[in-house]
Amino acid sequence: MPLANFIPTADDYLRYLPEIILTVVGVVIMFLEAVGGERRKPALGWLAGAGLLAAIWGSVVALGVGGTGFQNMVIVDGFATFFRILVLVIGLLTIVSSTQYLDREKANAGEFHALLLFSIAGQCVMASANELIMVFIGLEISSIASYILAGYLRDDRRNNESALKYFLLGSFATAFLLYGVAWVYGLTGSTNLAEVRRVLMTPESAPNLVLMGTAAALMFVGFAFKVSAAPFQVWAPDVYQGAPAPVSAFMSTGPKAAAFAVFLRVFITAFGPIATRWEPFVWGSAIATMIVGNFAALTQTNIKRLLAYSSIAHAGYVLVAVTAHSEIGTAAAMFYLAAYAFMQIGAFAVVTWFSRQGEKFVNVDDLAGLGERQPMVAAMLTIFLLSLIGVPLTGGFFGKFYIFRAALDSNLVWLTVIGLLNSAVAAYYYLRLIVVMYMKEPGAATENIGPVSAGLRVAILGSALATLVLGIFPSLVLDFAGRSAALVK
Amino acid sequence: MLDAVFFYTFALMTLTGAVLTITRKSAVHSAIWLIVSLLGVAGLYLLQQAEFLFAVQIVLYIGGIMVLFLFVIMLVNLDEAAKQRQFNNQRWIALGCAVIVGAEILYVLAKGTASLSLPAPAAAPAAGGNTEQIAVSLFRDYLLPFEAASLLLLAAIVGSVIMAKRRA
Amino acid sequence: MNLWLIPIFPLLGSAINGVFGRRLPKQVVNLVAVGSVLLSFLWVLKTLSAAWPLESAVKESYFTWIQSGNLQIGCDLMVDRLTAVMLLVVTGVGALIHIYAIGYMAHEGGYYRFFSYLNLFMFFMLVLVLGANFLLLFVGWEGVGLCSYLLIGFYFLEKFAGDAGKKAFIVNRIGDFGFSLAMFLIFVNFGTLDFGRVFTSAKSMTPEAGVGVITVICLLLMVGAAGKSAQLPLYVWLPDAMAGPTPVSALIHAATMVTAGVYMVTRSAALFHLAPVAMNVVAIIGLATAFFAATIGLVQNDIKKVYAYSTVSQLGYMFLGCGAGAFSAGIFHVMTHAFFKALLFLGAGSVIHACAGEQDLRYMGGLRKYTPITMITLLCASVAIAGVPPFSGFFSKDEILAAAYEHAPWMYWVGVFTAGMTAFYVFRAFFLAFAGQYRGPNPHAAGHGHGDDHGHGHGKPHESPLVMTVPLMILAIGSLAGGFINIPKWLEPMYPLAEGPENHMLVYISVAAGLIGIAIAFFLYVVKPSLAESLASALSGPYKLLYNKYFVDEVYDATIVHPLEEGSRTVLWRGVDAGVIDGTVNGVGARARGMGNVLRLLQGGNIGGYAAWVVLGSLLVILYVGLGVGR
Repeated sequence: MPLANFIPTADDYLRYLPEIILTVVGVVIMFLEAVGGERRKPALGWLAGAGLLAAIWGSVVALGVGGTGFQNMVIVDGFATFFRILVLVIGLLTIVSSTQYLDREKANAGEFHALLLFSIAGQCVMASANELIMVFIGLEISSIASYILAGYLRDDRRNNESALKYFLLGSFATAFLLYGVAWVYGLTGSTNLAEVRRVLMTPESAPNLVLMGTAAALMFVGFAFKVSAAPFQVWAPDVYQGAPAPVSAFMSTGPKAAAFAVFLRVFITAFGPIATRWEPFVWGSAIATMIVGNFAALTQTNIKRLLAYSSIAHAGYVLVAVTAHSEIGTAAAMFYLAAYAFMQIGAFAVVTWFSRQGEKFVNVDDLAGLGERQPMVAAMLTIFLLSLIGVPLTGGFFGKFYIFRAALDSNLVWLTVIGLLNSAVAAYYYLRLIVVMYMKEPGAATENIGPVSAGLRVAILGSALATLVLGIFPSLVLDFAGRSAALVK
Repeated sequence: MLDAVFFYTFALMTLTGAVLTITRKSAVHSAIWLIVSLLGVAGLYLLQQAEFLFAVQIVLYIGGIMVLFLFVIMLVNLDEAAKQRQFNNQRWIALGCAVIVGAEILYVLAKGTASLSLPAPAAAPAAGGNTEQIAVSLFRDYLLPFEAASLLLLAAIVGSVIMAKRRA
Repeated sequence: MNLWLIPIFPLLGSAINGVFGRRLPKQVVNLVAVGSVLLSFLWVLKTLSAAWPLESAVKESYFTWIQSGNLQIGCDLMVDRLTAVMLLVVTGVGALIHIYAIGYMAHEGGYYRFFSYLNLFMFFMLVLVLGANFLLLFVGWEGVGLCSYLLIGFYFLEKFAGDAGKKAFIVNRIGDFGFSLAMFLIFVNFGTLDFGRVFTSAKSMTPEAGVGVITVICLLLMVGAAGKSAQLPLYVWLPDAMAGPTPVSALIHAATMVTAGVYMVTRSAALFHLAPVAMNVVAIIGLATAFFAATIGLVQNDIKKVYAYSTVSQLGYMFLGCGAGAFSAGIFHVMTHAFFKALLFLGAGSVIHACAGEQDLRYMGGLRKYTPITMITLLCASVAIAGVPPFSGFFSKDEILAAAYEHAPWMYWVGVFTAGMTAFYVFRAFFLAFAGQYRGPNPHAAGHGHGDDHGHGHGKPHESPLVMTVPLMILAIGSLAGGFINIPKWLEPMYPLAEGPENHMLVYISVAAGLIGIAIAFFLYVVKPSLAESLASALSGPYKLLYNKYFVDEVYDATIVHPLEEGSRTVLWRGVDAGVIDGTVNGVGARARGMGNVLRLLQGGNIGGYAAWVVLGSLLVILYVGLGVGR
């Protein structure tokens, strides 16, 4: 075979540009970390941010030459680009919101940023994967980097516990995913998503539905774990509580969005023809996830843990959109994940600032009197919480609105009813935070509270602005999501 | 017939090795059982006339990686680890769950195999083995996953360095 | 034509000052704040000259804003002749007030924050005016409201400023509720919120077709307008709103925001034409407000309060014009009022500035010696508002009164009487401030004014810096000559003028009323100052009633606020909430929390247990698929 057959085309590289940029910048950061002095450390954060911006540009360039590349390994379409840009923006917000934290905890910044970039590169791979092997590799890159980020402060006991739990359980769940991939390959003779779909659509060669359903179920276990859907959500509260706050913000948004991206792509593209097999258990999981997340959050006193449960509940809402299994369902899920990312990161950014060194103040009652001492921050946190509840004029409202409308369009009446009831329960624990902030006398935690660093301020204001913009001009994002939601060409 | 005998022998080797790897108390014993398990896998490759994979499995996994494993194991404090309880009370629940999952999968397979349309066996590879086909697979069709996997390994290496490094 | 640039400039200014303002030097903050408004003014001029003579509306659609079912709302901006007038007033007067504020706010804390809010206000006001559908108008409407609360409460350290902000917020909620209901009804009836389509289908309706619903819509719109434009009975927030810095009073609570209600009613004229009853209600509310507020204005001592009630009263005139069918006269008055009322407030600010924060007229006097420019410009504004020909107020008020006469003669007479009172109280304030001797405290005592406490009590009253007086002079020219801009003629294609012979007698009467008012004020406060005192004590009953603003605030407190508080405390809280709801909710809550506790048991923290859960879950999922064999 001539050598030329082995050399990818220039377009192939362009379609993979964001991942290439992220990898290169990550490696450069590692290098500079080794040769640069202590004084240059802050510059690494800037470099990482620049890398992410370049990768966003790269995603746009990649969309310009959209299509499949590298022998059908990656697919660059609107859907992939949407999630690539989403995780890149999440990365940017994480970097700006972690500067103060890393300084405060005297943690090494270089490796943190490099790992963050690697993790995001993995998520970009997931977003554009057109092949189960790419899905697996992307998932693993993203996960391994996040396992380490979760335990980034080595000397912190909770960090260690968090990382270890995440690692062991994550590997366990990935094994299910991989087993499912093996089944799919065995049953259809391919790991390419479009090819799997084609085989399933051809009546003569279609494998037994039960076997195929089992393969889908096994892969579902892996994805459900990554998006923290019930009953595979048990790890999330411990891990999010134990990990550094900016990392928790990242883990509960970036990997989750990317995991939903591959979840949607695999189940709608490849397993679309056998939807009757998988819809019921996704349906059940959606209900269980919403109920477990919301009801468990009611009794939490630790804010990080509360946000962890709330993050589980929100995964449940997105699962409702997945169950709808329609184009508007996909668009709703995309919109929701974007809106959710901003409010969750914003809320965690406030917690990052508030908790102080060693994360001393992370209880709900510590927020008492914040509205009086720091009205601006309290107002921002209020915006995030209102959005998490789903109050109009915030992104959360339109997110829920579109999801439940998609569910109704697919005749999922009971799912919608249960989802709405759950949103009502959720209002209780979010409002409790607002009540504590504004109606309680300031306590020890709000005394002598330091200023919000410039980085955190950018993260909080940026997230708040995005939350409001999504709530007031949902079309800006929804139009693009709607146009990109057609996964099956 | 002979193929079947070899297949079951290697399969048994793989599974027994895997089970013993996680049940032995001593880490060294575990590592050795892992080698047995990997050898079984290598045998399965050979059985499918994938000589190159067989060789790679032996050289890389058994020769290289396992030796590294053993080095690491001997460096860490084994006595401490040996004293720890290996299982807790939930092992029976876990075992029960695992057995049920296994039973379920067997059941599903039993139900489904009948309708499974197995493709005809692949033609025997041309003389010179299938090494070239692997090259095409690895460096053309699956070039990107192959390269992406290096990023995965890089992240893992960085992680292990961070975990191992003492704080200055 | 890039209409979107018009509002976007102030938005950028607001963002820049809001985010970086703390670190920027004052000059840069000034440059950004004023520059953005000036740019937007220039863009308005460019747009208008490009679209001249603007015989039909220019509309630009940018994107679909909200799409849900058959509700489709675009982000559309539109310019027609009505918008053109509003745009010029908002950006032109706005720019002058921004410049003035540089001088006025020079010594205040939170300088950048102030300008950030002020620019944000400009953005929303321009959205309100440019929006081509009701929802976009509503966005601007709510936005200007928000900025208004922020700016009223700008001195948030002082309790009454915070209270005033809260009051404005609550009262406006009532109005906004009416407006939103009106929008729902419009959508239900017309299937769209787009101005063009709503009004086109309204024009093809016969007055009988949808009389009931249209009347309800118009009345609800009027409720909204009454809230925003401070009409009876929702006017109470505006006088308190003077707690904000004076440039805010001038820009938001005199020249622009409060006229949004008039704009909205005029914009919806096609609907109002179908609902004569609603028109009548508008006219009566306007007239009553004009009269009522003018009587209160007669006796106030705080210079800003006088002008505040005068604003309420003038807004009443504008609604009277609209209600009488002379929409263009209403808008004409919006424009002239923007000139002279902005000037009155800015002049008052200059006076307050001169007296180191003093706002009470009783402690002023004789300022003509110290602040000549302020005095002359204030005189221009006063003659304009008093309706002395040929100054601006004369023309617009005359148009309104003529229309009122056509509508119902008694309205004309009440209007004329009110015009007389207007002339009186404006000149009363003028004479008290500038005539006679300085009655202020010892020059060395620090200013003890309440609202605008500058705290730099330096010596004698002094003239304001040039940055403040130049805008005053420009506005003075507008107040004097603005009446020659024939707005009704300009708006004629949209709002046809009433046919009919001009009745010169009506003009003479109203001019005479104004002159008599001025004369009485001159007599009472310049010629015989002692007479005013004795008159007040002789008529102490009515005087007290007026001075205390008819005790409306107290009445509201006693009849609405207090019972609500009490009721919510006893009935809602103790009875319903604690008893019924808490009972149920605690039941539900206890159950929910009980469930939460059960769920917590799953969370033992043991990693093996967690893994068991994962296996259990997969067990269930596979079990489900496996059992589906037969199907």
